[in-house]
Amino acid sequence: MNYFVKGNPDLCIGCRTCMIGCVVAHEGEKIFQMNPWEYVFNPKLDIVKTATITIPVQCKHCENPACMNVCPVGAIEMIDNTVVVLHDKCIGCKTCMIACPYGAIDMVVASDGKKQLDNSDRIVANKCDLCIGREEGPACIQVCPTAALKLVTEEDVAVSVSNKRTAAAISLSQVKGS
Amino acid sequence: MGKQILTTCPYCGAGCQLYLNVNDGKIVSATPAAGRTNEETLCLKGRYGWDFLNDPQILTKRLTKPLIRKNGILEEVEWDEAISYTAGRLSEIKAKYGPDSIMGTGSARGPGNEANYVMQKFMRAAVGTNNVDHCARV
Amino acid sequence: MSMGVPEIEDAKLLFIFGYNGADAHPIVARRIVKAKQKGAKLIVTDPRITESARIADMHLQLKGGSNMALINAIGNVIIAEGLADKKFVEDHTSGYEEYKAIVEKYTPEYAEPICHVSPDLIREAARAYAKAETSMILYGMGVCQFAQAVDVVKGLASLALLTGNFGGPNMGIGPVRGQNNVQGACDMGALPNCYSGYQSVTDDAVREKFEKAWGVPLSNKVGIPLTHVPHRVLEEKDEAKKIHAYYIFGEDPAQSDPDLAEIRETLDKIDFVIMQDIFMNKTGLHADVILPSTSWGEHDGIYSCCDRGFQRIRKAIEPKGDVKTDWEIISLISTAMGYPMNYKNTQEIWDEMRSLTPSFYGATYEKIEALGSIQWPCRDESMEDKGTPYLHKGGKFAHPDGRGKFFASEWRPPCEVESSEYPYSLSTVREVGHYSVRTMTGNCRALANLEDEPGWIQMSPADCEKLNVKEGDLIRVYSRRGSLITRVMPTERVKAGATYMTYQWWIGACNELTTPYLDPISNTPESKYCAINLEKIDDQASAEQFVKDSYESIRTNMGIDTAKKGV
Repeated sequence: MNYFVKGNPDLCIGCRTCMIGCVVAHEGEKIFQMNPWEYVFNPKLDIVKTATITIPVQCKHCENPACMNVCPVGAIEMIDNTVVVLHDKCIGCKTCMIACPYGAIDMVVASDGKKQLDNSDRIVANKCDLCIGREEGPACIQVCPTAALKLVTEEDVAVSVSNKRTAAAISLSQVKGS
Repeated sequence: MGKQILTTCPYCGAGCQLYLNVNDGKIVSATPAAGRTNEETLCLKGRYGWDFLNDPQILTKRLTKPLIRKNGILEEVEWDEAISYTAGRLSEIKAKYGPDSIMGTGSARGPGNEANYVMQKFMRAAVGTNNVDHCARV
Repeated sequence: MSMGVPEIEDAKLLFIFGYNGADAHPIVARRIVKAKQKGAKLIVTDPRITESARIADMHLQLKGGSNMALINAIGNVIIAEGLADKKFVEDHTSGYEEYKAIVEKYTPEYAEPICHVSPDLIREAARAYAKAETSMILYGMGVCQFAQAVDVVKGLASLALLTGNFGGPNMGIGPVRGQNNVQGACDMGALPNCYSGYQSVTDDAVREKFEKAWGVPLSNKVGIPLTHVPHRVLEEKDEAKKIHAYYIFGEDPAQSDPDLAEIRETLDKIDFVIMQDIFMNKTGLHADVILPSTSWGEHDGIYSCCDRGFQRIRKAIEPKGDVKTDWEIISLISTAMGYPMNYKNTQEIWDEMRSLTPSFYGATYEKIEALGSIQWPCRDESMEDKGTPYLHKGGKFAHPDGRGKFFASEWRPPCEVESSEYPYSLSTVREVGHYSVRTMTGNCRALANLEDEPGWIQMSPADCEKLNVKEGDLIRVYSRRGSLITRVMPTERVKAGATYMTYQWWIGACNELTTPYLDPISNTPESKYCAINLEKIDDQASAEQFVKDSYESIRTNMGIDTAKKGV
């Protein structure tokens, strides 16, 4: 099963520390020494606030990803329980962005510094990659001051499903008659 | 690896403790420490709010030399001139209008308690007025 | 704060009044979230749906400017329903009868048309607050930045007295101070009426002690507050009473103070303006002399956090440029004026301060080093005195009779209210990723990437529809005092007719709009309420260009060589 980061709206205070944590994890701490206009700032998650909810929204790493299925050039792959955009292959066609039902993909200037042949910026699909390859795991989880984010793995899902079934069994047993 | 300096965050009154991680005389990152109030957590300002120190000049510029306005224009001067000019003008105003014609502020921000103590002592003992206040009210 | 930050999570009930921890102090808000997880009841009083309000058990979404009426109504219910802690009131307080007489008429039904909160909800909140085992009040600048502020603070303290919520852990009343060291500036006597440790300048014995230590006669006349400076410059006719010199240290009144047009005029009229700071700022444009100092990270010292905790700051790197520490600069000027100061380091200054300040005397550098943090009072140098986590232990108060004093006041409406010409209210609030006047965070790469000029005005979806504006549109905002451009942020979290702007933007500088009306006791300006109007901008492209040009001209004014930047 693919893993994903789940936010808890009871704990999230909307402070957006996770968004910067994401950028630093992907661009490196060197950005703090660079000229401010010479690096890209592309958080792969976004805090959404409504009247009743505050929560970061990011890629769910679907098991049958619409984005991967529609990508015409095979630039989205599943690697180590993670749905990943391969920026080298991405042609910036936006099909994945349209296909994603969560709005978890946006289009940004590629941060690898590579340009198009005419030296203009390359625009590529941007989405959560669970900080793949990062020893400490997803940075958003690590930096959140209220521990509002959690990595959901196969085991967590199994426990959650089991708990829900137990609760369902108890509530069903209380329905009398019929 | 370089060294870790334990300090208190300069933003907001929560008093979070953090480490400034220094390499080759430069801060490279800030990480949370086990402070009484913050227990190894930091918000975005505490964690990512230190790089103004290397003066990226996004909004304003670090002041690096004393300046005196001469004929309407701020000109760089040496410290001796800046200090004697400032002391001279303050003494002049004090002599002409009295100590209560001078107002001073403390600072609720970066300087720290000792600087505030010295400032209020300066206003009270050297200038001779209780006209000292800070932006607690705004 | 009467309690410590860690205690917040163990209170059984949190009554959060005009305090938006999530944006002002995320790491304090973290404790509010933890309290809720541990089963505490949350009552939030705020005109906006803040993060705390969102997870609260009860949200009293009052109309801005009605704090006093609501607090009186809560006191009214507690007394009327016999929920007061009679023993605590008898043993530890004074002034109950007078308090009772004033709140008598503030029934929930009387308060409703003022506060726009239902009588049932007021009753429910009052009952919960009074009945919880330990109730803690947290309040913020949403209480203090009104012309009726001190009354409201005392009113909140009276609720804690009425219900015996003082003297033990996990209770009490907590003003969560905004700036990192606003507590410290007060502690050190950067106030017109007291020396360090809140020792009054009018107390002869205290003054004699300082006169002896400092070797000069001292004034027994209380000084003037910062917020009186414009009046003392622009309107004072008597030359002897006028302010002729202004030494501004680590502050930017030309950005942070209300009614900026008036502040600029003030700074221009003062004979001599000294600015001492780390960054060029708006005040610098009016300064006669600028003294560059070291920054946090470049010097040693102690800060006081919001719960009275003394904590060390340490030098991490060498400063660049020809700069000096703040205390060195002040000492040099003092010496040049004939009053020598020759401190060698901050510890020497701290030790002098301690020797004159009984309530801080026990907080030595060594002890702060060893314990990490010491909450004052800390009177004894021995390691046994580890400071004071919460105040008023055993129900003892600082008044001469040792009793906590009740206080109630009639509600007064804000000084400037909505009219047909200015039909919206504006309140100034905080941006989570930026601090104060933004000279520091505005020069931090990631923080500036997250939010930058010209900032936002939070408006209800209904008002956006009425004005035919959408998210991100530039809009003109104006009051009787000034006008600016900012971006529209529609949000369901605010009520129709009310708007909110964060105060650290330079282009969308909301203090161009705010009023200079002051609380008569604290002299705090009424930043939380003024009347404005909004005007849709049809030519968005030229407004965008205006914002871009304004930003560049700010940067040029601040001395940045803008030709070097690719933006």
